[in-house]
Amino acid sequence: MNSAVLKKTMYWFVVPALLMYLVFWIYPILKLFQYSFSDYNGFIQDFNYIGFDNFSQIFKDGVAATALSNTLIYTLVFVVFSNLIALGLAFLLNMKIRATGLYRTAAYVPTLFSAIVVGFIWSYVYMPDSGLIATILSWFGYDGANLNLLGNYDSALYAITSVDIWKHIGTSTVIFLAGLQTVPVDLEEAGKIDGANAWKITRFIRLPLLATSITINLTLSLINGLKAFDYSFIMTNGGPGRATSTLLFEIFRMAFREQQYGKASALAVVSFALIIVLTSYFVLKMNKREVSA
Amino acid sequence: MRSITKKTLIHVGISFVLLLNVLPLLIALSSSFRSVKNMTNPMQLFSEFSLESYKVAFTKMHFMQALGNSLMLTVISVIVVVLFTSMAAYPIARLNNRLSKVLYLFFLCGLVVPSQMVIIPIVQTIQGLHIPSSQYTPILMFITCSIPFSSFLYTGFIKSSIPIEVEESALIDGAGLFRRFWQIVFPLLLPVTVSVVITQGVWIWNDYFFNMIFISKAAESPLPLAMLGFMGDQTNPTAWNVLFAACFLCALPLLVMFAFLQKYFVGGLTVGSVKG
Amino acid sequence: MVKTKKKMTKVIAGVTVLATSVALLSGCGSSDNKESGKDGSKNVTLTMVVSGNKAADGQDFELDVLPKMINEKFPNIKLEVQKLPDDQYNTSIKTKLAAGEAPDFFRVWPRMGSAASIIDLSKAGYLADLTDLPFMSNITDGARTDMSNDGKVYGIAKGIDMLGTYYNKDLFAQVGVTEIPKDWESFLAASQKLKDAGITPIVMGDKDPWWIQFGAYQLAANTVYSADKDFDLKLQTGETKLTDPSWVKAISMYKELYEKGYIAKNSLGLGGPQATQMFIDGKAAMIFDGTWDYPTLTAKGAAEFERGFFPLPGNEKGQPVWQAVSTAAGWAVNAKTDHLEEVKQVLNYWFDSNSDLFKEWVKLNPSISAFNGVPLNNDLYKESYELYQSSGNSSYFANQMWPNGVADNLQVKFGEIIGGRNTTAEDVAKAMQSKFDELWKK
Repeated sequence: MNSAVLKKTMYWFVVPALLMYLVFWIYPILKLFQYSFSDYNGFIQDFNYIGFDNFSQIFKDGVAATALSNTLIYTLVFVVFSNLIALGLAFLLNMKIRATGLYRTAAYVPTLFSAIVVGFIWSYVYMPDSGLIATILSWFGYDGANLNLLGNYDSALYAITSVDIWKHIGTSTVIFLAGLQTVPVDLEEAGKIDGANAWKITRFIRLPLLATSITINLTLSLINGLKAFDYSFIMTNGGPGRATSTLLFEIFRMAFREQQYGKASALAVVSFALIIVLTSYFVLKMNKREVSA
Repeated sequence: MRSITKKTLIHVGISFVLLLNVLPLLIALSSSFRSVKNMTNPMQLFSEFSLESYKVAFTKMHFMQALGNSLMLTVISVIVVVLFTSMAAYPIARLNNRLSKVLYLFFLCGLVVPSQMVIIPIVQTIQGLHIPSSQYTPILMFITCSIPFSSFLYTGFIKSSIPIEVEESALIDGAGLFRRFWQIVFPLLLPVTVSVVITQGVWIWNDYFFNMIFISKAAESPLPLAMLGFMGDQTNPTAWNVLFAACFLCALPLLVMFAFLQKYFVGGLTVGSVKG
Repeated sequence: MVKTKKKMTKVIAGVTVLATSVALLSGCGSSDNKESGKDGSKNVTLTMVVSGNKAADGQDFELDVLPKMINEKFPNIKLEVQKLPDDQYNTSIKTKLAAGEAPDFFRVWPRMGSAASIIDLSKAGYLADLTDLPFMSNITDGARTDMSNDGKVYGIAKGIDMLGTYYNKDLFAQVGVTEIPKDWESFLAASQKLKDAGITPIVMGDKDPWWIQFGAYQLAANTVYSADKDFDLKLQTGETKLTDPSWVKAISMYKELYEKGYIAKNSLGLGGPQATQMFIDGKAAMIFDGTWDYPTLTAKGAAEFERGFFPLPGNEKGQPVWQAVSTAAGWAVNAKTDHLEEVKQVLNYWFDSNSDLFKEWVKLNPSISAFNGVPLNNDLYKESYELYQSSGNSSYFANQMWPNGVADNLQVKFGEIIGGRNTTAEDVAKAMQSKFDELWKK
């Protein structure tokens, strides 16, 4: 039976997608590898190959190190908080209470706005003096004029990470919710009859069954964090100083402002490697846990 | 009795958290309903109701034209994505051999590469193929960038929810591969198709990067690109009200879609992936 | 069976159509250019991409006036214009150039200024040679040379821009500063008076990091270029360094303004638009900005007051003040344009001093005209402009002689100072010099 249904000719179905993917995605990425060994400036087509100079240069001036540490902090904060908040929300929204539809809408709506729009809105939220946070604080007698979250070295990175978390929570919540809805009701009932309390039901029945959605959410947020670019670009320009300069933003700056496309490509290649290694390590680890859970 | 108070508490808790969540949007919405020159503190929610800012934003971004462009770009891209990736996922999910696994991972890898990094080689490739830069060029990139995640969703769903047995009757009927897929398998993929349409549709609708690179005529700009023009207005540098009105105009079509298809957005979003 | 076969054919046909339509659609976008017009001349669509802020609706020269007037004069020529914010513009134009898909006209900056500069782009062969156009002799020498490379003119400047200090005359009078500060000492004294009176002396939009250049170049004009006009030429040969005391001095003077609290302390949280808004609302007494922002800074805000404009005096007492005056950004023509004839027609009409379009342009142009015989538009700049013409004490904006990236490092490192890090003026200069060494190869 199977052999009749499953023929190798099925692979023709892959061709359209594969073709586009190869031509417009893989081939350009390979070109990036080529550029990483050159002094290409992004627009003059005659360039020289300069070996590993770009790679050593990246690590020499410490710029990459700053960008890397910013990116890792961003990712860590993003992964932890977006998932914890989303998980909590999902549990709440999964309860049999009224108006969950309305609540879910409220949780999901921010994901519909584009990064530019979100950047505009949050610039207002963070504005010193008359911004949203400053105004609320001033109701409680705190002087909002001194609150300068985006302009402060220590808070800027966390401020833009929060924006990304805010925008991302809706998606994560929905994925968790979908996972929770696969938890059979009778299993929970059985747990209750056996005298398990709410925590135990959560820990031993719900969480294991959520394993797949947890893996998906963690992986997506990990990739999202490592690829962080939008809010550094839209809200802070990587600043103050290099405080919000992520890997991707630094690559962008090198390529388009300093006209060092070769060097930017080299940093891009290093970043690919990093993202792929981190992500696959993580996914493998999660898969193992998922099986054993 | 106890359970009632507990429920009330839960309601209060959720409402509070979600109110915080939508507060920035509420402020923006209330500001957008103010007249252009009303610069009093936006925290005075809905203190004025005027459509002036919307009128300004509407004409300035040539809303109808931009809307048409956005619709065109998004609809074409999403249709092709659905067709191509559902097809691609079919053999990958069905055939259990090394090639399938390799293809699966190969597509998935694309997810980790950010497009901003690769833009120059991408544009050079497109140029090398003599595809002129036009209003429609971004579609190529929208499709390409949607391939990894969409094929991931489709593969997971076919593996977990479409048993081979459903194709048996068609096989007995002597139907070919093509017909089996389009007549039997594809309709069963509806739930995951909905989630592909939603996830990919939303990002394509909101993307400004590829549009900015490929489109040079104002008349061909979709909404997000038209929005860019609102950054910094010479005579009214912080025209928050108009800006926010533009933001909501830009998101309006998605919000309307969301209102009608809420169930699918929230419920159907992840059918494929979670079960996989 | 027949029925199902039909259905299947339909499906196949549908898929094929969709698959190919993408490729086809991408192909037909630009084919509508070459239909014949009524009088036999070709109908042509020219494209222009520029950067900057939009003026009020219907009054933006590039977006509204120019296409309309061109079409009135040449019914067969349609001009499509797109305006993007600076950062987006730079990304987009470079990518388009690299792909050979650049518009017919686009924004360029003089010498090596900014990311799309005359020297870089002409070296790459992207710019059409405009030397022979008849109106070139009408442009002042300086503006023409700044838009040239190797003796060929590649761009037309919008005009001349000055950096300066816009100030609120009412607030100055209120604290008893009656005379415009003429040297650094009196500038500091005036700022102190404003601060003591509880008025924010200066506001800057440092969240948009290029704002840092607006103050820095005015000071450098006094500390660096007044003593050595060829500083940057020598920099290129290695004779001078950005770490020399003169540049360090400019940076430390600028630093002083932040340390003494004269510049609004939240400037890193304010973008250009917010900073400008604070100034026109009367919430700050001064702002460093260029003449190109005339419409923004003279727009009506929450407060009514009279504006003034003076060069930031970075000079010692008794010395003359030097100003930062430079050729403005402008327009260049794509070397690979398919419609060079029409492009030239447009330019010749636009820059013919007697044409209606030229007059309209002069009227709407905030920059000071670089065309001979065109009087100064805006009285606000009268004093500074006369000083510039009579004394000749001025230097260009420093970044125009550096590879792009050096100014970026100035911004990043100086941003650290504003942000209260322990970065010193020497650190800033060092970072600039090392970026210069990395990027300057010739």
